[in-house]
Amino acid sequence: MIKSYLVKAALTLCVAAATLAPQVRAADTVKVGVLHSLSGTMAISETSLRDVLLFAFDEINKSGGVLGKQIEPVVVDGASNWPLFAEKAKQLLEVDKTAVTFGCWTSVSRKSVLPVYEKNNGLLFYAVQYEGEELSKNIFYTAEAVNQQATPAVDYLLAEGKKKFYLLGSDYVYPQTTNLVLLEYLLSKGVPLANIGGGLSKDSDGKVISAGKYTPFGHTDYQQIVAEIKKFAASGDACVVSTLNGDTNVPFFKEYAAAGLTAEDCPVVSFSISEDEFRGLPADQLVGQLGCWTYFQSIQSPANKKFITNFTDWLKTTEVPGIQKEGRVTCSPMVLSYDGVYLWKAAVEKAKSFDVDKVRTVLESGTISFSGPGGKVTMQKNHHLTKNVYIGETTKDGQFKILKSFNNVVGEPFLKGTFKASDGKPAAAKKKKKG
Amino acid sequence: MRKPENLILIIGALLLLVIMPLMNAYGTAGSPLHVSDYTINLWGKYLSYALLAISVNLLWGYTGLLSLGQCLFFSLGGYALGMHLMLKIGKLGQFYKAGNNPLELPDFMVFMGKTELPGHWIPFHNFWFAALMVFVVPGMVAFLFGWLAFRSRIKGVYFSILTQALTYAASLLFFQNKFTFGGNNGLTDFKTLLGADLNAADVRRNLYIATVILLFTVLLLVKWLLGTKFGKVQKAIRDSENRVLFSGYATTTFKLFIFVLCAVIAGAAGALYVPQVGIINPSEMTPDKSLEAVVWVAVGGRGTLLGPVYGAIFVNALKSWATTAYPDYWLIILGGLFVLAVLFTPNGMAGLPQQIKDIIAWFKRRAANRHAEAAAATPA
Amino acid sequence: MLRFLLLAVLCWAAPVLAQTMPDSEVRTKLSAAILAEDEAQEELIQTVGATGSPLAAEILGLWRQGSVYLDTTADGDKIPFIKKDGASLRIDTGAAFTPESPTEAETSSKLRKSIRTALDLMEVADPDPKTRASAIQKLGGTQNDEYLPVLKVRLEMETDKKVRKALEAAIATIDLTNEDDAVCIAAIQKLGTLKNLASMDTLKAMITSEEESDAAKAEAQKAVSILESYSRWVNAGGTLFSGISAGSVLLVVALGLAITFGLMGVINMAHGEIMAVGAYTTYFVQNIFGGGLSLSMFGQGLKIPGMNLTGSAYQSYFIWAIPASFLTAALVGIALERGVIRFLYKRPLESLLATWGISLILQQLFKLVVGPNNVSVSSPTYLSGSFIVSDVSLGYNRVFVICFAAAIVFCTWMLLTKTRLGLFIRAVMQNRQMAACMGVRTERVNMLTFGFGSGLAGLGGAFLSQLGNVGPNLGQDYIVDSFMTVVVGGVGNLIGTVCSAIGIGTAAQSLQAVTDPSMGKVLALGSIILFLLWRPGGLFPTRTRSLEG
Repeated sequence: MIKSYLVKAALTLCVAAATLAPQVRAADTVKVGVLHSLSGTMAISETSLRDVLLFAFDEINKSGGVLGKQIEPVVVDGASNWPLFAEKAKQLLEVDKTAVTFGCWTSVSRKSVLPVYEKNNGLLFYAVQYEGEELSKNIFYTAEAVNQQATPAVDYLLAEGKKKFYLLGSDYVYPQTTNLVLLEYLLSKGVPLANIGGGLSKDSDGKVISAGKYTPFGHTDYQQIVAEIKKFAASGDACVVSTLNGDTNVPFFKEYAAAGLTAEDCPVVSFSISEDEFRGLPADQLVGQLGCWTYFQSIQSPANKKFITNFTDWLKTTEVPGIQKEGRVTCSPMVLSYDGVYLWKAAVEKAKSFDVDKVRTVLESGTISFSGPGGKVTMQKNHHLTKNVYIGETTKDGQFKILKSFNNVVGEPFLKGTFKASDGKPAAAKKKKKG
Repeated sequence: MRKPENLILIIGALLLLVIMPLMNAYGTAGSPLHVSDYTINLWGKYLSYALLAISVNLLWGYTGLLSLGQCLFFSLGGYALGMHLMLKIGKLGQFYKAGNNPLELPDFMVFMGKTELPGHWIPFHNFWFAALMVFVVPGMVAFLFGWLAFRSRIKGVYFSILTQALTYAASLLFFQNKFTFGGNNGLTDFKTLLGADLNAADVRRNLYIATVILLFTVLLLVKWLLGTKFGKVQKAIRDSENRVLFSGYATTTFKLFIFVLCAVIAGAAGALYVPQVGIINPSEMTPDKSLEAVVWVAVGGRGTLLGPVYGAIFVNALKSWATTAYPDYWLIILGGLFVLAVLFTPNGMAGLPQQIKDIIAWFKRRAANRHAEAAAATPA
Repeated sequence: MLRFLLLAVLCWAAPVLAQTMPDSEVRTKLSAAILAEDEAQEELIQTVGATGSPLAAEILGLWRQGSVYLDTTADGDKIPFIKKDGASLRIDTGAAFTPESPTEAETSSKLRKSIRTALDLMEVADPDPKTRASAIQKLGGTQNDEYLPVLKVRLEMETDKKVRKALEAAIATIDLTNEDDAVCIAAIQKLGTLKNLASMDTLKAMITSEEESDAAKAEAQKAVSILESYSRWVNAGGTLFSGISAGSVLLVVALGLAITFGLMGVINMAHGEIMAVGAYTTYFVQNIFGGGLSLSMFGQGLKIPGMNLTGSAYQSYFIWAIPASFLTAALVGIALERGVIRFLYKRPLESLLATWGISLILQQLFKLVVGPNNVSVSSPTYLSGSFIVSDVSLGYNRVFVICFAAAIVFCTWMLLTKTRLGLFIRAVMQNRQMAACMGVRTERVNMLTFGFGSGLAGLGGAFLSQLGNVGPNLGQDYIVDSFMTVVVGGVGNLIGTVCSAIGIGTAAQSLQAVTDPSMGKVLALGSIILFLLWRPGGLFPTRTRSLEG
């Protein structure tokens, strides 16, 4: 008798809690969308961004929320399926009416949701390094633009005395565009065409439309490419500029190491390998390879130490299913997502409203900045960030040691055609005549 | 069996074609009688998938040819219309606005340094040409492949694996940036169709209505076809191709016709799908997508008229819901559903009522038997 | 310059007079080098290197690997030290001591390069000819004429043929920068006759350079054309080798499928995920041999202790991982067969759908158990490195995959043809009813066959962990390819699978060499499809009298 009474009471309570709880909370919360792939091929990279976003929301909620409202995250899975991304974006904007969305990783996912955000006048923060050549009024790009990653890296390599550059990438827009920009940039720095490896393809007028070597997604066999690089590097002072995307880096680097190539002979600078991707690579075989990001976990600053400690503590206590708790690292896309949340919060608080137009006006004013783990970032009028850029080399514990930093680099999305090839003689002649 | 099917067809048509659009157009937002633009758009997507599922079912359920490449035709249809939509962006394109695209090329071409429109793109300026290509391109590819395959008497598992390889090869081809179809990004950011703004609510509704109309037209066509002598031969091929062959029928021609017809249906589905979801890219033609379509049919009920429609709607609605409600577990839910459906409901959702009836009848019979046994035992 | 001459003398006298500088002085210099900065540091490194002392070589080598440490004493002094057999040894005295607050002595790639050059100079006199040759080649590549005396002295005493060749090439490469045209032209000719591919780019640059004389340009042109035709041969050799090794990879991944699909007729779409099980097993074994691993299964922490092995005991993990992956994958396969597939033997097309559902479930399970990221499996040292056979480099890992493929094909063939189980397997696969009538327990044979096929897939996974990703999506990249391999070979024919794997691998690699990686793959697939449309039975069609066969 008592037992059945207890069961009934418990059931009633559960039902009441389940039906009432959301309504009670709904009054003083603001819905925020998280749109990342938690399944499919891109889950490898994107899951970490979901984690760090939830962490940022909890952190903000603990300190009082945004404009007195608690953030209520709406997490949806884009499942590495681009039409599904568009559907989920519509759901976030039209059904859940989220104030802002943090999400997308690949260019194609951004391209597929872009019309949705423009139509519904939504707000999207995009945090992953990308090719530029795009500027939507509804998207804020906390991501690295090409001039915040590729060109500083090349500057560094040129300063290190590298003379030959092998361009390698996955066959999609980001590598193609980055390499075209780099080709222009290298030529403008006086590197002769013969010293740029990977091949060029030209259209009928002889205009270069694609530079570098490209492999399809999921490519697993890098024997020939590594053999080609080995030959390319045999005469010394060569380096590889790699825009291979996450997954294909593993077979590439395993082949690279097995072929006996090391960072001393021919360093590889990769733009898609952060600490997070590094977890899947044999770090001890890759010591000395280069990376270029706007954040490294190894940055020694109080802000970064605090960020890492808080994030690690949060991971231990969080009860969200599917969050991996062990062996976690922080990386640039994660920090830029995190920065994005705080930039949005600052803008909302300055605008005193969640209204997209008002928030945008404030963000575009160029006065919103946030001192994040990677240093101070400021939102510019062109929806990109001014931020620090770091060059690092990998160490055997899977981290990067910072070699050089460029402070306050202004993000510039439109770069193609801005570097003019230097006229006159190509190639500083190799011959060293002694007098 | 026939009667409830007709009834469902009529009710379904009424609901999808009349009531839903009306509720969308005239319901006030927030009231329970209102169907939101989002829902209309979502259902537009489900129903284009349903069309694709019908084409899979016509091949697999009725002819015994399991094509794992049906999404290739779906995407080809989508690309054909997508190319037209791309060209119609014209002056609304970002590069045109920025002043460095006087020729109104699609943005991705400017991006990749193209200075003129490739020849095969030019005729797609014309809508009717593009609309024709929606049927012709998938049809031609299917004809060529089917002719070669059926001539060599490829069937069963081999046909499945070959079609899978075909769509895989095609996806790799379309993924290439230099293949002039936008590479991995595909075709996206469409603005207008026949001058109407694709993002407007009424245009979306009209696209949805067009999808429903096509869906029911195809359903009726399939229903009619199955009733003809042709349909009977078709099923006979499924059950024993050799006997049909020895009875003097040119099975190759029959199969080829069905294969091409299904490709055309899939192409049309793709063409309706693309403006509604706003993107077509090569990942739509990867083997996974085709497998998914086959699974819709298996879940819904192969070899039944409405099964594929149920399956496509059910699985996709489940996916839409689970990717939000259980983002970390939905693949397990979906995968589990497929396994259970294959193991326990060979006739899918459409066969479920009959299956339940059979089970109840079996229980009744068993009870009756026991009763009889008991009755028989008592006197002894 | 002087120190290079000194080294030159040293090299010549190396066997007799190994050390002219006492160890104590070397130690002081080394410790100074570690503490110095920038150019002074580089200078010191070169001086220490020039002593040729084995002690210097050892410590520089450790430094380069990041195994030299700095201890900061209470007074702020820094003491460099190394760790050996658990003890900390001061570099300046060689004595053991207890460090107070040790840190790793930092290196940068520039510094490591300079250490590398110093080591290269010492390695010119290394007892191992392979090390000598590689060091010499690198010195030549710098085109720095300061190294000429060292190289020339070495050339006089060198007896090893390959090293002599490397020396001649290095000397000639450096001579290219000589201002005397005659020397330069001789060097060009020498490089041509030596067929030194490394110098091709330099020679090409000379052809267009304005500073070269016409005669030199003409000679360079000649040498380049010799080198180019040679390089075509080398490339063809390289392509052939990579084709065979790519084919072996295909064979390793497709062999399991040849059993489950080819013999049993089950279309197992979860084949790729079973390979992933094998690869993950390798990862687990590696970590158990190492420092253990911690998982967060469904959000719950789980710690698996490791054995903390080092050195060759740790390196042997891969040997143990191979049977472990076979067994785990076989168990998963048996569970799959008992749980699902046995109900679907009569409906092969539906087994395709059910197993696809299983592959989705497994993929997500990997993510929930191990995490969505790829995990890192490092190659044991005995699998990294390469043989060089007339300029074609054959990676150990690639040679190993070929041998591995050959070994498992042989074992499979033995099992199928020489054992009782094999006899049963063949009997059941040919005619299930008849075999059952003869008293064969067909259920059990089905289970074991499927388990065996899955185990082979697990072996494939273990091997792939050495070449590529280990992650939830591992299987996806191979599934279409492995099905094609089995079908092209002719279903149910082991030899056919071998031929088709090697054939497809070689064809794909050759096509890639002519076009580019994406197009190569498309063309390879296209030609396979056309081939199968022309000959549906594959290379070795099964002959049968059955009409529905």
